[in-house]
Amino acid sequence: MVVSSGVEHLSNRGLAVAQSEALAGSVPVIFQLREKGLEAGAVHSLCLQLSPLIKASGSLLMLNERFDIALATGADGVHLPESACPCDIVRKAAPGLIAGGSVHGKATAVEAARAGIDYLLFGPVFPTPSKEAFGPSQGLDALQEVCRSVSIPVFAVGGITPEKAYACIENGAYGIAALGPFLDTGALCATINRFQSFIDL
Amino acid sequence: MILPRKFLCVITDEHLCPVKLAGMALDGGARMVQLRRKTASGRELYEWASRIQELCRQRDAVFIVNDRVDIALAMHADGVHLGQDDLPASAARSLLGPDTIIGVSVSSAAEAEKARDDGADYIGAGHIFPTFSKEKTSPPLGTAPIREIAKASGLPVVAIGGINMDNLRKVMAAGASAVAVISAVSGAIDPVSATRTLVNQIWQ
Repeated sequence: MVVSSGVEHLSNRGLAVAQSEALAGSVPVIFQLREKGLEAGAVHSLCLQLSPLIKASGSLLMLNERFDIALATGADGVHLPESACPCDIVRKAAPGLIAGGSVHGKATAVEAARAGIDYLLFGPVFPTPSKEAFGPSQGLDALQEVCRSVSIPVFAVGGITPEKAYACIENGAYGIAALGPFLDTGALCATINRFQSFIDL
Repeated sequence: MILPRKFLCVITDEHLCPVKLAGMALDGGARMVQLRRKTASGRELYEWASRIQELCRQRDAVFIVNDRVDIALAMHADGVHLGQDDLPASAARSLLGPDTIIGVSVSSAAEAEKARDDGADYIGAGHIFPTFSKEKTSPPLGTAPIREIAKASGLPVVAIGGINMDNLRKVMAAGASAVAVISAVSGAIDPVSATRTLVNQIWQ
């Protein structure tokens, strides 16, 4: 399961820290930090704060795009959007990091897998306001097609609820990724458990 | 990579093709090119950076990436330039190793000393004059602090901010080792000859 976090469309600056603290009581997840609105210096100090919390919880900290900051802060990996520096180049420059990527179609999924990416986020599978920029929802059939075309784990993203998670797994997804459901940090562990129960069905 | 003595650094703007601008700056005699495009994607920056680095190698000029240490690492740039809000220079130094040039923007002698202690090779001091190329909330420094910043840090000072062919000599006389410009070249009708004029003035 990928728990995405980012304040670019929220006003809650302490969100990522509160989420990371809450992860102490959770099953391990991939915690993906996407802080587009922050300067690199602020992301660096935030990551220094998050990294030990995430490590202690057994989860993985993935940082969007900036593998330099990931390397400098002890994060586990880097997440590469389609518009990021090519994966094979990142791999060469930062061989010790896990590399995840976002794709929105089969062709780019196959290309990313060939370039050596470790896992993919594919979506938006269902309609969602936070992924509107990536076009209309693509549905479960498209998810299945992408999952069949690569041998690396594919996480379904976009409008995923616990109830919809099962259908994603049935269609070949390795797991799911979401942002909205995890904003309530007080209920974070319960929400993750609820997702997990549908993933494990 | 070693810094040249007295040089012009041309920084890319938000509009012109950075590769084209870099080519014109090098034709005009700039010894340093800095790729800065805040709105560009990582992929765009990587592609531009690879091509500009190649151009700079052909001319024995220095290629610097603004802010994005990741891009500099990915394509082995000659250096990076860091603002006060960017990745700390100390962190950049451990990632890039001893041979990559690191520049740090400062607006005071205290920031310059800190930059030197964090491993900077040169200081970007500014903004010296009023400028519209970057949004600024603080008043311009003027030329007086340049010598103080140079003395405090013991490093070459690259002056930046509103510098053009009318005021460049004043900046050099105030103790700068180099000058960085954006609009004085990118906004010129003929960027090559604008660069040449600025370079000539640096050496006058």
